[in-house]
Amino acid sequence: MRISDLKISISGIRGIVGESLTPQLILKFSEAFSTYIGGGKIAVASDTRPSAEMVKNAVFAGILSCGVSPLDLGILPIPSLQIYTKEKKLDGAISITASHNPVEWNALKLIRKGGHFLYPLEAEELLDVYYQGRFRRVERPEKIEREHEPFVTHEQKVLRFVDGELIKTKKIKIVVDPCGGAASPYVQKFLEALGAEVVCVNCDLKEGFPRNPEPVASNLGDLCKAVRKHKADIGFAQDADADRLAVVDENGIPIGEEYTLALAVNSYLKLKGKSPVVVNLSTSRVLEDVARMSGVDIFMSKVGEINVARKMAEVGAKIGGEGNGGIMVSDIHTCRDSFSGMALLLEYIAWSGKKVSEIRAELPDYFMMKHKVKASYKDWRKTLSRLTSKYGSGKIQDLDGLRVDYPDFWFHVRPSNTEPVIRVQVEAKSGEMAKEEFKKIMEVI
Amino acid sequence: MKDRLRISVSGIRGEVPGALNVEVASKFSSAFSSYLEEGRVALCRDSRCSSHMLEMAVISSIMASGLDCADFGMLPTPFLQFLMRKESFAGGISIAGGHNPLSWNAIILLDTGGDYLDISEGSEVFNIYEAGDFRKARWRALGKTHTLKFPLELYLDTLSKIVDTESIRKRNYKVVADPCNGSTSAYLRDFADFFRIDLIPINDNPEKPFPHSPEPSVENASQVEAVVKSTKADLGFLLNSDSSRLSFVNEKAEALSEEMTFPLCLLSLEGKIGKAITTTVTTSWADWAAENIGITISRTKVGQSSVVHTMESEGAEAGGEGSGSFSLLSFSSGYDSLLALALILDYMSKEGKFLSELTQPFPPLNMKKIKIEVPPERTYRVMDRLEEIYYKESPDCTDGIRVERKGIWFNIRPSATEFVLRITIEGEKEEQIESVEDELMDRIGQ
Repeated sequence: MRISDLKISISGIRGIVGESLTPQLILKFSEAFSTYIGGGKIAVASDTRPSAEMVKNAVFAGILSCGVSPLDLGILPIPSLQIYTKEKKLDGAISITASHNPVEWNALKLIRKGGHFLYPLEAEELLDVYYQGRFRRVERPEKIEREHEPFVTHEQKVLRFVDGELIKTKKIKIVVDPCGGAASPYVQKFLEALGAEVVCVNCDLKEGFPRNPEPVASNLGDLCKAVRKHKADIGFAQDADADRLAVVDENGIPIGEEYTLALAVNSYLKLKGKSPVVVNLSTSRVLEDVARMSGVDIFMSKVGEINVARKMAEVGAKIGGEGNGGIMVSDIHTCRDSFSGMALLLEYIAWSGKKVSEIRAELPDYFMMKHKVKASYKDWRKTLSRLTSKYGSGKIQDLDGLRVDYPDFWFHVRPSNTEPVIRVQVEAKSGEMAKEEFKKIMEVI
Repeated sequence: MKDRLRISVSGIRGEVPGALNVEVASKFSSAFSSYLEEGRVALCRDSRCSSHMLEMAVISSIMASGLDCADFGMLPTPFLQFLMRKESFAGGISIAGGHNPLSWNAIILLDTGGDYLDISEGSEVFNIYEAGDFRKARWRALGKTHTLKFPLELYLDTLSKIVDTESIRKRNYKVVADPCNGSTSAYLRDFADFFRIDLIPINDNPEKPFPHSPEPSVENASQVEAVVKSTKADLGFLLNSDSSRLSFVNEKAEALSEEMTFPLCLLSLEGKIGKAITTTVTTSWADWAAENIGITISRTKVGQSSVVHTMESEGAEAGGEGSGSFSLLSFSSGYDSLLALALILDYMSKEGKFLSELTQPFPPLNMKKIKIEVPPERTYRVMDRLEEIYYKESPDCTDGIRVERKGIWFNIRPSATEFVLRITIEGEKEEQIESVEDELMDRIGQ
């Protein structure tokens, strides 16, 4: 059996440069998107991967080919691109980033009018255009425009959202690690504007990333060390496109990516008032605890930012996100935004006067195991039926893959939209229990 | 024919949008850079509205194959060819439709020295294209793109070693230029200042579409004629969109046939060259001029690729075609209009004569060029039939069929750049030309 590392899906197109992600595919995909948009203006921004220039040239060629005006925003975090698209009322945007994937990967993510990712049905239509290959090529291509201060729109929105005066009085010391990614040119100035003292690690744009860009504990060694060295109050890590955030406490210990969202949601509910909460099906139970503590409802959506965003709109939630560190604040924009997350946490620290480790300790402990199994989609049906028959006694949710809840543990198994893998997550009250249940599930898979 | 691509060593040509689009440009660039050794690929483009877009597709594909791009932006192809002799490049790509209509464009592949590929090199690239077997660089080995400026001073200095610059400067010629809103527009001012020319440019805004068909010819010269007349200029000239062809308007505001450009260039080089190459469809004035200055001339297939490669293999210093193109190997391997212009200015100042006087001794000849649209799948059947018909007249089959009769010759050949048969008839008497035209139309129509 052969599984391609290329993934063309409703999330966009993703692959490895030098293997599956060729300029021809990028061109074709950009032409399909521009044909689908059908005119107007779309913004293009990238993260800092060395392949960005190659990809960007093909993206612009594809956009020009189909008569859409491209606006070049240079290097920009994806939430900033989404917010720019919304605020400037553009017709769409393309983000050139493989997010948390290692440096050899790259991808195109497609943003609709209003600054959200394409809705699943729109993405299906786009894929039809792509596969049919009949593009709206024009005789007279438009010209490329450039924006030189693309981050300002996003920055101003966040600065207005939090109490900067309050944060300033506390003189919070921060170490931030943007992984040499799209946030690197902006994050230090942003945090300084919030009144914090900032030390930046991995802020230089170099060939490749200084660490694996996924902001999980095992990749945060530099940050943890720097937090201890500089005696900082908090450490922040972003991934390459700055949608996800991880937090390190004042002792240089990562609080765990699941707890980033919990802290942010808790901060929001305490500082900005009550609101229902929306998280995806793969999110830790600690969020349910946080919601219960504030007496608000919590809703679960399918995995994927756009699904969370739409559920937030449906139930009127102002705060939500994804368990892997994706914080979504509707006052800014319902997209995963590490900048909104940082601002909220800083305001909460200033308001509560507590240390990060103390804030974390107020929340119950859970242990989560995450794993991915390389698999073709054709194995999925079989896996699903085996799991369903074995775990029929639990509370089953089959909105997106299979989530089964028992009183002491839950698990979620689903095929990924971005990689040819099946993702497996198990969470329990203790580490041993999580490991044990994980082993049993893996036997079934 | 909108959806048909014309693939040859003269370039990958087609209409945009249509046969030529970003994907085709990308695939050919991937094939070409897979074929090349390591190093930089020199890039330039003309002013067509599709050129920048195609160039971005080209850049992306070259980078993906692990080669670097030296991007000179909007630049005449002969300038790039000139520079490729001076600096080291793995190869070059020019995105320029030359004389093709505005809706067309072309991807032209150049070898390490700036020459068009020859037929065997070209077919190696086209085979890689067909197989789709492109070189792919890992992320760390991807190529980089550097935006560079063309060293015009070097170009002008080199030119001033070929012509008598001082003598041209003293004349302070007043010259009307029509670069057809092409890529040469931005460079004409410096060229004129260098030779102390009082330049009157028209149609020199590359942001605008072409004001007329970009083929230098008598039909397209009416604007230049009018301006030469009203400004009492000494000379006027027209370029195609990327400066590989030119034709003149004399000081009496009369447009000269583009066929005169090549023989005039030869005459200007009297005593400096010994051999020239042209094609089987170039005017007999070329033979007359060669005889006049005591050089030999031989004829080959049409197109920059075959003319320049024949110059190189036969040791000829000069070459050119009746379409208004000229190349001097000691300068560069490309057809270069500004070189030709400098030669004509040199000739005028040396002789102290204007163009009407310099062309006065040309023997009286008339030429008729006709193109007939023939679908590609019928082209070779038609050519076969004509070959059978004219077999008795022992035709020259270097490029199509060339038949020589008393006081007249004609040539019929399939175009390398468009889906047409090109017919060229040249003779002394108009009636004779007309009767050959009738004869040919009759036979092609059969």
